[in-house]
Amino acid sequence: MEELMWQTQERWFVFLEKLETRMGEMCTAAIPELKEIFKADQDPYKRAHSRMLAGLLGQIRRMQDQANEVKEDRILGLIYSLGVLTSNDFREACFNRHYAFEKRCHDYTSLLQKAAGQEDLEAFYQEQLASFALIKDRFTCKQCGGKITVSKMFFIATYVTCSYCQTQNTFLPSSGAQMVLHKARSLAEQRTAHLLKAYEERESKDPDLYQQYLRAMFDEWNKITPDMEEENEKFYLRLLKDKSINHL
Amino acid sequence: MPEEEKKKTLSYVEKLKQQALSQQNYGGEVVDKAAQMEIRDCPNCGAGRAYQDGLTNCAYCGFSFMDIKLTDGIHIKKDNNS
Repeated sequence: MEELMWQTQERWFVFLEKLETRMGEMCTAAIPELKEIFKADQDPYKRAHSRMLAGLLGQIRRMQDQANEVKEDRILGLIYSLGVLTSNDFREACFNRHYAFEKRCHDYTSLLQKAAGQEDLEAFYQEQLASFALIKDRFTCKQCGGKITVSKMFFIATYVTCSYCQTQNTFLPSSGAQMVLHKARSLAEQRTAHLLKAYEERESKDPDLYQQYLRAMFDEWNKITPDMEEENEKFYLRLLKDKSINHL
Repeated sequence: MPEEEKKKTLSYVEKLKQQALSQQNYGGEVVDKAAQMEIRDCPNCGAGRAYQDGLTNCAYCGFSFMDIKLTDGIHIKKDNNS
């Protein structure tokens, strides 16, 4: 019986190690490719990169599933069949090894997710501001030809009144300006990343630090897209509430 | 690591990359458009839509631009109804 447990444990260790090696090889090969694809992807949502990342993460999940199946089948199966005769050492060794494997999976997952880094959203935003400043005086009314100045940066289509003939002109922002609305939260998060880090680095999570971060993040967000302030405020309160539930 | 195994992983990642790149984005490629100004004038009489007379009907001939009733939004408000 000892022999059987020992053999099972040995095989379990070898199996997990093989999976880990395969995972390691895949991730090492994939990280430079992920970086490259992220850089080359012209799509504003970086969808080619997301597809590749999803494929890789799927592979890791597949390996986790395989490990779980074998654990269920071999290790737990043996424990159930032996009942009280199972040695604690065997049980502990097998479970600890599986825990280490899961941790490895988790590490590789975050490694892959962070591989490509972040887009420089600040540069993108400044570029959009500059290009809007260039074009804002260049429009004319389609009805009477009078000059129209777009008063502020809009991110969605909006009505602008011609001051001469009172006709409603529809101003359609450029694709880049429309993207600002989509990326505003990420940009605000990038600007306040140091506050989030300060909160996360503390051993004991301090709700006040989180609130400080969240308030700063939303202030930045509102600075970028002031029109959404009222809606964002509701969202802020909800996030804060969700977090406080976790703290209790 | 045996050479063959190395090749296998590489080719897997390579294949995945090819697939990720060649797959069409849902809704097609995003076209980068410049900002522009547009109007919708009355197809009946050619008048522009005047702000103070509301946006749903033509102030001059009564042509109805839209059948819905406007509600408060970010840039359009309730009182933009004709």
